[in-house]
Amino acid sequence: MSQSYDRGAVEDFGRWTEFSAGMWAWILHKFTGWVLVGYLFTHIAVLSSAMQGGAVYTETIQTLEGLFVVRVMEVGLLAAAVFHILNGIRLLMVDLGIGLEAQDRSFYASLVITGAIVVASVPTFLSGLGGGA
Amino acid sequence: MSTQPQDAETEQPAEEAEEAEPESEHQQRRMAEKARRAEERARTREKRDRVAEDEETYHLRVFRYDPDVDGKGDPYFDDFHVPYEQGMTVLDALIYARDHYDPSLTFRHSCQQAVCGSDAMFVNGRQTLCCKTQLNELDEPVRIEPLPHQEVVKDLVVDMEHFYDQMEAVEPYFQAIDTPEVEDLEEQRQSRENREKIKMSTRCIWCAACMSSCNIAAGDNQYLGPAAINKAYRFAMDEREEDEVKEHRMNVLADEHGVWRCQTQFSCTEVCPKDIPLTEHIQELKREAVKESLKFW
Amino acid sequence: MAEEYRSFERGGTGWFLQRVTAAFLVVVLAFHFFNLHFLNHAYEVTFAGTEARMSDVGYFATMWLFLVTATFHGVNGVYNALINQGLTGTTKRVVQVVLGVAGLLLIVQGTRVAMAMSTLI
Repeated sequence: MSQSYDRGAVEDFGRWTEFSAGMWAWILHKFTGWVLVGYLFTHIAVLSSAMQGGAVYTETIQTLEGLFVVRVMEVGLLAAAVFHILNGIRLLMVDLGIGLEAQDRSFYASLVITGAIVVASVPTFLSGLGGGA
Repeated sequence: MSTQPQDAETEQPAEEAEEAEPESEHQQRRMAEKARRAEERARTREKRDRVAEDEETYHLRVFRYDPDVDGKGDPYFDDFHVPYEQGMTVLDALIYARDHYDPSLTFRHSCQQAVCGSDAMFVNGRQTLCCKTQLNELDEPVRIEPLPHQEVVKDLVVDMEHFYDQMEAVEPYFQAIDTPEVEDLEEQRQSRENREKIKMSTRCIWCAACMSSCNIAAGDNQYLGPAAINKAYRFAMDEREEDEVKEHRMNVLADEHGVWRCQTQFSCTEVCPKDIPLTEHIQELKREAVKESLKFW
Repeated sequence: MAEEYRSFERGGTGWFLQRVTAAFLVVVLAFHFFNLHFLNHAYEVTFAGTEARMSDVGYFATMWLFLVTATFHGVNGVYNALINQGLTGTTKRVVQVVLGVAGLLLIVQGTRVAMAMSTLI
């Protein structure tokens, strides 16, 4: 044994077709987590406009809400939040030792419900566009 | 050496010599019979060869690496076409390939019945024990690689040192402070319920399939890993060990690189060839550790 | 004392608090989204409306707790993700400090913003 070979992490994305449900759940949970924590900082930054007076605050929010891109990103944020909540509930159950044998099905259920809620919310999230700013 | 086969051999020439001498109807009949038998034998041989020709073969793609041989220091894949027999496992196919095609093909195996735990490999992207994986359940080509996240020593052989270190770290042996007096009792009894509780955790065969499948163990080298935590579970949950011993065990497990690193991906539980509910055991230990700490608050 | 129950400080606290905040956040985040996108439309938000909401003691307290728990949950989540990658030694210490400061700043700024929005303080 003069030498050995380190193949690195083989679960890198090149092998995504071989990932199991639990692995996907973890990847998506982590990804949506990054999105949400990123948004949290952004959110407080935007709301900080309130410190320069009510008019600036109202103006900032209404301008941003008048942008189509912002609305689309909000739908994305909703998707991330809903999935993180639902999968979070799934993970809390797993932590409590409840329904471990159904962990794959509960992940698929989280995905389906997230999809349904997001699709159903699109009209609300895009309503009033163009009216504001 | 037995003399029996020799007897049988010497018998034949004697018979033939006898046949050559007198010409009789009896002898002609025997000659005809002999010819007929030879013909039959030839026919069956021909038939067997024909079967062998269009026999079902399995296509294996095997990871090869040998740092000691020029040109093999860079990993590559070798193809083997192994004739299939009913009930053939991945290990059987590897043994066939080694014995018939390439004696340098290296892999660990011993009992061939899922007890010794030496032939865990990465087959078609999944950690599995080769001796309990049927070939006909796999898509071709069957891709056979050494366990991921462990250094490859040669071909399908990986360095298990780190895995064994983690196993040792949890003191994988029974250690009760009070053992029963010899006169009182010869056995240290365990209740049936307690035995049931730890039953699955005792089935570990140290094959390292779980450790290899664990994404966190791959990133954090200090993480104890599913096998070691399960081993600790087996003793921490054993009622015959005193509270002090359990506390000591929980201290090891509650380390930052202990149970908390588990992200409940269920990869280990899915690949365990012994169907040990690893994630469940790790989760139970997390709750146990939190409970222990909350007690003092 | 701390020595004796060290185990709880070594990862257990973080794990436990991550779960406790998660349970709280599941409810409050869902409420927050529903409140500001369905009950009140985000594009209709004005300072007057925000001020009216934030001047209710219960709402103000909930939102401030929301800020604190979300910051902890988020920052601790990021920290865990990095630890899972095998972070050790000085890098780990640096990450701890950076994330801790970032979280603290977020809570301070969030609190200032909340006070500016409310007539309570």
